[in-house]
Formats: sequence, C-alpha cells, structure tokens
Amino acid sequence: MMAMRRAHTISSSVWHALVAAYPLILLAAVWEAAARLGYVRPVFLPPLSTVIAQFVPLARAGDLVEPVLISLYRTAAGLAIAIVIGIVVGFFMARVRFVRWLLDPLIAFSFPSPKVAFLPVFILWFGIDHLSKIVLVAFTCVFPFIVAAYAGATTVPTNQLWAARAMGTGNLGLLWRVILPASLPSLMSGVRVGVPYALVSTFTAEMIAGGGGLGGEMILAQRYFETPTVFVYLLIMLATGYLIDFGVLRLRDYVLRWHEG
Amino acid sequence: MNTVSITLLQQFSQILPFALFLVAWQGVAKSGLIDPTFLPSVGAVASALVDLGANKSFYTELAVTFGRSLGGLALGAAVGIPIGAGMAVSPAINGFFGPLVKATYSLPKTALIPLLILWLGIGSASNMVAVMFSTLLPFVVYTYHGIAGVPQILVWSARAMGVNERRLLWKVLLPASQHAILTGLRIALGFSFVIAIAAEMIAAHTGIGKLMFIYGESGSYDYMFAAVTAIMILAYIADRITVEVSNHLMRWDDIENRLG
Amino acid sequence: MSASKIAVEGVSKQFDQAGNPVQALAKLNLAISEGEFVSIVGPSGCGKSTLLYMLGGFIAADSGRMLVDGRPITGPGVDRGVVFQEYALFPWLTVFDNIAYGLRESRMTERDVRVTAERYIRLIGLTGFENRFSRELSGGMKQRVALARTFAYEPSTLLLDEPFGALDAQTREIMQDELLRLWRTTGKTVIMVTHDVSEAVYLSNRVCVMSQRPGRIVKEYTINLDRSTNREEVVLSEAYTAIRNDVWLAVRQQVILASPDDR
Repeated sequence: MMAMRRAHTISSSVWHALVAAYPLILLAAVWEAAARLGYVRPVFLPPLSTVIAQFVPLARAGDLVEPVLISLYRTAAGLAIAIVIGIVVGFFMARVRFVRWLLDPLIAFSFPSPKVAFLPVFILWFGIDHLSKIVLVAFTCVFPFIVAAYAGATTVPTNQLWAARAMGTGNLGLLWRVILPASLPSLMSGVRVGVPYALVSTFTAEMIAGGGGLGGEMILAQRYFETPTVFVYLLIMLATGYLIDFGVLRLRDYVLRWHEG
Repeated sequence: MNTVSITLLQQFSQILPFALFLVAWQGVAKSGLIDPTFLPSVGAVASALVDLGANKSFYTELAVTFGRSLGGLALGAAVGIPIGAGMAVSPAINGFFGPLVKATYSLPKTALIPLLILWLGIGSASNMVAVMFSTLLPFVVYTYHGIAGVPQILVWSARAMGVNERRLLWKVLLPASQHAILTGLRIALGFSFVIAIAAEMIAAHTGIGKLMFIYGESGSYDYMFAAVTAIMILAYIADRITVEVSNHLMRWDDIENRLG
Repeated sequence: MSASKIAVEGVSKQFDQAGNPVQALAKLNLAISEGEFVSIVGPSGCGKSTLLYMLGGFIAADSGRMLVDGRPITGPGVDRGVVFQEYALFPWLTVFDNIAYGLRESRMTERDVRVTAERYIRLIGLTGFENRFSRELSGGMKQRVALARTFAYEPSTLLLDEPFGALDAQTREIMQDELLRLWRTTGKTVIMVTHDVSEAVYLSNRVCVMSQRPGRIVKEYTINLDRSTNREEVVLSEAYTAIRNDVWLAVRQQVILASPDDR
C-alpha cells in the first residue's frame, strides 16, 4: 500500500516535470520530424538525433571539453578582475567625494556603449589569444560591479558604521570588516547580472577573434558548413549558461544565508 | 551667485573629468611609455574623427549598422511585447512560453549568430534577426512584469466600469505598465547595438563593426580609435533620447519613476 | 569634589534641515562623575540623542568643550561604548561573532575572546544561540546581544540611546533589570537617553531634564532609591512615585513651553 503511494508520488512529480517542459518537448519533436521528413535541408537544420550523435566524434577528437574549459577560464579570469576592480572603484567612489566626482560622468558616459566596440582596440593591444578576451570580459562586466559596490557601500546603516568605530575599527578595517560584508547583497545582485554578461562577452570575443573556446570552435564549424557541430556547440553554450546560473543562485544562497528576505 | 552661473558651473564640473581623462591619455601617449602605434595621441584621433565626420561613406556605414539594430529592435518589440502581455493575462500562454523563456534565459544570444549566418547568409537579414532574438527577452520579461504588476485595484475598478477585456488591455494594462516596458526598451536598445556590431565584426561586408576591423587590419589605428569614439558618442545620445522621450511619455507619473 | 569623568561645557550644535538652520543644543553644560548612572530625559526632538552622539564622538560640537577624563573628545573610542536604539548588530555575523567583535578589535588572544564571549552569552541567557544570525532573533534577544557586545570589551563609559524603545513592556522591564544588574556588578559610568521617565527614575541615580530645542539641561534630580530590593517594592514605593511625578512634570513643562509650530 505504501509502495503504491510512493510510486504514485514519484510518477506525479515526473508528470509535473513533463507538463512544465511540454513546449520544449513539442519543439524537439517538431524539429526531428521536420528535418527527417525533408521539409528543411539538412545543411540548415539537421535532425536533432544527428546533432546528438555528433557529440561523440567531437568528444573523441577532444573538441568538446577543451573549448568549454578555455571559455570558462577566460570568463572566470575576466570576472575576477571585474569584481576586484568594481569593488575597489565602487567603494572609493562611495567614500571619497573627489573620486565620485571624477568617475561618475565617465562611467555614465560609457554605460550605454556597446563594449564590444572596444574589441578591436583590445586585439591591437593584447593579441588574439586569451588576454584580449579576458580584458573584454573585465571591461564589460566592471560596470555592474561598480554600481553594485557603490550602492552597497552607500546604504550601510550609519549606526553599524558608528558601532564599529566605537569598538575601535579604523578606516581600513571599516571597509574590510563592515562595508564589504554589508554590501554583499548588492554585490550578489551584481554577480547575477555580471556573470551572464561575462559569458556572452567571452563567446562573442571568441567568435570575432577566433583563438579557440566555444565561440571560436562554433564559428569555425560555421565556416566549414558543419551544421550539426554548430548545433552541438549551441547546446553546450545553453547548458553552460544554465549550469552557471544555477551555480550562481546556490552561491548566493550560501553567501547571503544571514540576510533577511 | 545667480542661478545661471551655478548651472554653468555645474555643467563645467561635469565636463572637467572628461578633460582630465583626455589630458591623462595625451600624457601617456606622449610619454613614450607605449608604442605610439598602440595608442595614438588625442590629436591624431581627433583629426581622424573630424575626417570621418566629413566623410559621407562613414555615415553610410553608421546608417547600415543603426538600421540593423533599430530594425531588429522593432522586430523584437513587435514579437516580444505581445508575448509578454499574453503571458501576463493568459495562464495557457504563460504555460507555453514560460518554460521557453526559462530555457533560453541562460543562452547567450550571440550564440545564434553563426547559425543565422548559416541560414541567412552574411548581411542585414542575419544581423537583424540576431538583434531581434537578443531583444526578445527584455521585451517579454519587462512587459510581463509590467502588466502582471498592475495593481489589482485598477483592474477591478475598470471591470466594474464595464470595460471589456480588449479595451482593458489597451486602455488600462499597457499604460499602467508603460514604465516597465520603456525600461525594457532602454535595455533592449543597448543590446541591439551590441549584437548588431558584434555580428558585423564576426562576419559582414558592411557596417561600422566591419569598418573598424578594416581600419584595424590596415593599420589605420587612429581611425579605428576615432570610430570607437564615434560609436560611444552615438550610443550615449541614443540612450539619452530614449530616456527623454520615455520621461515625456510618462510625465503623468511620479517623479521617482523617471528613467535614469 | 572629584574631577568629572565626563564634562560638557557650553556646547552648542546647529544642524541644517532642508536649508533651514536648526539649533539643536545651546550652551549645554553637564558634568558626570565616574560610576554614575545618569539618564537624560526631555521632550521629543530636544536634542538628547544628538548630545549622546556627540559624547560618542560621532558628531562634533560647533562650540564649547567636551572632555572625557580631562581630555577632549575627538572621535569615537573604545572608552565609550554605545548601544543604539535599533541595536546596530552586524547581520552577517552570528551572535557569537557580534559579541566577539569588540574583543577581537582589542587584540585579545582568540582563546580569551572565546572565553569572554561565551561568558557574556551565558550572562545574557542566550546559550545555544551562539551560531544564530540576528535575523533569527526576537527584539529582546537582539537587545541583549547589543548590550553584551558593548559590555564585553569593558569600555569605562556606556552610552545608551533609548536602548529599550523598540521592545514590548514586559521585555523592557526584564531588560531594565538586566541592565541594572550589569551596572551594579561592573561599576561603569552609564549615560542613558530615554523618553520614558519611569524608566529613567527606576534605573538611574541622577536624572537630567533637557529643555525643548535648543537643548540645555534645566533640571537635575538625584535619586537615592534602594535598588537592592526587588522591582515590585521599588516601583510601588512612595519615594519612587514622588520622584517620578516630579520628573514627569518637569518634562511636561518643557513640552508645553514649546511653541505650537514646533509641535
């Protein structure tokens, strides 16, 4: 009796998952059918099954995992730089009025710019390997972090700053022991915005400049009209984006476990 | 000090950081720290910029890029706003598109560019479709949140006055969610420039993205820098226009709700 | 007469409120001896919190002198601990880490920090809550942590800004007795700002009444109640009631003296 009930709940949660994902399943089915029935030429839309089958030779040739790692490395390095610079600049702007006056107009002016327009400059300076892409990622992502750090630093309750001072905390200690932790909620919002930007920037830079990575491999496959491979990399990019977003949420839950709301 | 000189002073103090930036740039360029090929002096870039400004073909290229991004933006709005609105008012539509939105949320839309080039070839078609896809999400999401966030009280009082569902959408829901939709527009505009230029850099025959690469490859770095500067200025102006127009459209709304 | 622990001489302070200058304090004088428990009461907006924050070194005086142990106040310091009305606990730190904060700033060894912090956690009755975050605590518990945090590193003076204002009546009474006990066992100098006259009379051995803005001390009451008995006996005694009525009346007069626009 219990076994039956448990089986019922398992199958009901599977059922719910299916219901939630039905548009995707529908699309997959339509895709496979349209390709197989010859409604579209395979060079434009290979069947889903062919795409999935393409994973195997790519994996064997080492063209599956390595591009992912390369792209992730560039993304992570660029993000790390963006976070550090963003926090330092944002905090400085919050604490020192001159810095705010100096940087505010420059940042506001740069905000609407398509940062990808700077890629030719970065390629000129740093070549077509990792560095130019890392710099593009850093340059694109630093802005949300500056804004987040500034917002976090300026909204620390004055009482908390005063309490720390009364207990003997100096200026540097205040930044490190009070302002930084108090800004974590704001910074994590910056992370949620910045991480997808970083991934996009990496892929874009790789598509433009080559030099390996998922973007580079994808554009290469496009040039040789290897459509199934293009789709494979597309799916991997999708999966990478999804997994990273999932990871960011988990990270946020941990880092902000003390936070109300 | 009277108010006129105060505002002049304010404007001057806002421009001063740019002047300082140019001074710093010139200082680094002239100091010999960096090879002048890598960092043209402010004067070289400025004269290249003037040159471009007098050059008709530069404007043609800009128009091509601009046209692609605005065209894609319009397509994205035409498709995205109805979908977002539909998702907000109809659970069935939400049930269909919701999972699609969630699934593609994490997909960097630039990933579609090679595929679109494969399908539509190099040129404005693939470019505009790429822009459309990248602007879909902001339009869908912001429209959805805008309409879903309309206070129930407004909806109920409209219904009580006998407004039917169609008029409800046009006369109540869309105006009430104007702020959200215009915010989505502003974000989508930024995306549209990025994707249009990125697509041109990846593969194109025309457009400002392609032009910058031509300058890069031919070693005309001062023109390349000038083109980047021109793009920055234009993007800024476009954003400002969007903000001013949006605020004008929302002049009946609270001051806090004004855009940037 | 012993030199004052804390001396406030002719202190004035002006604020800018939406373009209009507001005189918060005008030539205020106050002297506090070591080991005293002084309460400052007065009508709302009279500047009593401003005075406390100036004693804390967070706000500077426009004119006049403020001395602690004969030396001028130049900023916040570990000799003057502050307990804020909204607790000002660090939400990202656990109860333990909050209480240990001041101890760690004092460069104690980590072992001593642990021992002291745990002692205070026992003292305030929060054993078992060491690893909770402040969002998991009730108002009374947060207040206890705030008190413990400031008492733990033993500043010689304690500045309390309406410490029990946000608590319900029962919790407030419990906390008042807690504070009284802590004061009596440590012998620190305590300066408390409160709008609750009964509380001021119950806890302090001197109550200073501040005038309506711009604030000055207009009346002082020395209180010699026998606090070794329990709360019921003190509160229901005639001596307590008499002083409480006097103080209340003095504050009331200040409230009435305020011009109608001010209220």
